[in-house]
Amino acid sequence: MKMNVKICGVDFKNPVITASGTFGFGKEYSEFYDINELGGICTKGVTLEPRLGNDTPRIAETYGGLLNSVGLQNPGVDKFIEHDLPFLEGLKTVVIANIAGKTLDDYCEVAEKLSDKKGIDFLELNISCPNVKAGGMAFGILPCSVEEVTKAVKKFSKKPLMVKLSPNVSSIADNARAAENGGADCISLINTVTGMAIDYKTRKPILKNNIGGLSGPAIKPIALRMVYEAARAVKIPIIGLGGIMTAEDILEFMIAGASAVQVGSANIFNPCAAINLVNELTNLLKSCKIDKIDEIIGTLELN
Amino acid sequence: MKDFLFTVKENRVITSGVFELTLTTSEVLPSVKAGQFVHLEVPNSESRLLRRPFCLFKTYAHSIILLIAVVGKGTDKLSQVKSGDKLKGIMPIGNGFTLKDTDKKVAIICGGIGAAPLYEIFKNYPDREFFTYLGYKTKNAVYLNDDFAAFSKQITVCTDDGSFGVKGFPTDCLDRDIPMIKPDVILTCGTEGFLKAVKKVAAKHNIPAFMSGEARMGCGVGACLVCTCKLKNKNGEVANKRACVDGPVFPLEEIEL
Repeated sequence: MKMNVKICGVDFKNPVITASGTFGFGKEYSEFYDINELGGICTKGVTLEPRLGNDTPRIAETYGGLLNSVGLQNPGVDKFIEHDLPFLEGLKTVVIANIAGKTLDDYCEVAEKLSDKKGIDFLELNISCPNVKAGGMAFGILPCSVEEVTKAVKKFSKKPLMVKLSPNVSSIADNARAAENGGADCISLINTVTGMAIDYKTRKPILKNNIGGLSGPAIKPIALRMVYEAARAVKIPIIGLGGIMTAEDILEFMIAGASAVQVGSANIFNPCAAINLVNELTNLLKSCKIDKIDEIIGTLELN
Repeated sequence: MKDFLFTVKENRVITSGVFELTLTTSEVLPSVKAGQFVHLEVPNSESRLLRRPFCLFKTYAHSIILLIAVVGKGTDKLSQVKSGDKLKGIMPIGNGFTLKDTDKKVAIICGGIGAAPLYEIFKNYPDREFFTYLGYKTKNAVYLNDDFAAFSKQITVCTDDGSFGVKGFPTDCLDRDIPMIKPDVILTCGTEGFLKAVKKVAAKHNIPAFMSGEARMGCGVGACLVCTCKLKNKNGEVANKRACVDGPVFPLEEIEL
């Protein structure tokens, strides 16, 4: 029974990847289990300059999910290379460096700095973080700007380029196509859905930033629908994410068209979520008598 | 840090809105520093998925005791657990309170349930002298004084309305006593207003002070960055530290209040 998948020439021992923003730079969860057993990990988003991020509160619990407005707090690409990359270089799982920026030049400079680093296997282009006021949101909305930023970064990226799409758009199919036209080697979707939480006693939003991104099981139906639509629109591989909590969820995303998945909020609820999913997936494939997991990719049949 | 599986042994009401949970495990628990906490699952909750952090009030080889105030949906659910219920909890998390060898006389000053993170300090440092100041709203809300009296060289209990102990605020009592006691360090925990008052007293007498902070948390293990506290050091450098693993204990003078 084979769990491995190959995406853009890179071998993943299983389709379970941890999502950016929920896994730091890999060290924290290493205390709970061997993260090398995962298919891959995505780093926290790295920007050109260090960022402090938004004021707190940065989190609000919702029904079946959570809202976050962290605001891309990160040490900046130079400190990342100096302090965090050595640990990643020692890993035996696929490492996907998530990069973000305020301007096209920012993105390109970060991509260039990371492109020759041996500890990194993919670059994931974050054009959809809804918390950054300048840049993040704007790049990911219109198809033309998705194509433009993808094309610009692709020039500097010697690693396979994964473009992470925002769901807060008119047509996910158009944006998927735009990423493909811009030269993306694969796409990941969805990022968080813009949302709000209000305290009725104070009559103020709970997040200091007022608005944040919703993640967790609550967004799974939106994510599944979008993965399915994107899969019909493009030929490049798709990584699916949005509320995955169980092995069954993983199969659903792969059937919808994903070659692999990312698991995010689940790590926040349970530090062993990702490794548990790898084990549960093994058992589920056995009980469904699926010999090779890549057989199910894109096998959804509409009614 | 490890995610332990606990069984509820006892759930008892301490005072209005505050309950005490005793949780046991077959595993041997690691030793704990005062100020560290457990990130606890909310049981029977498919919709409320985040864990809740609670300071480790009392810890033993196979059990922990938590003091919990009902402040929202998660703590409300936890207040209803029964003996035999199971819940997972990651512990021990955080830096805890650390005393220097020269910190022989320690002032503890806390408001209400804020005293809970400091109970175990006497186990961690059995050779120090503790001068404790506890503040509560009223007589019915007083519930940690006996625990602290058992190990304190001196204890002062204040109530806002004077219905028990000294009428007024523990910060005024500490301010008045400092010239006599000459504490080497002040340890504190309480609401933002309480901490502001302690910060003033500590600054006035030039005594280092440390607080145990609180923040809305996500993962609780340092990965997600939602629980940050803004700290400004002596050089004016600002940093966002994670309340979970960089804290929850921070130097009081560095915290923006």
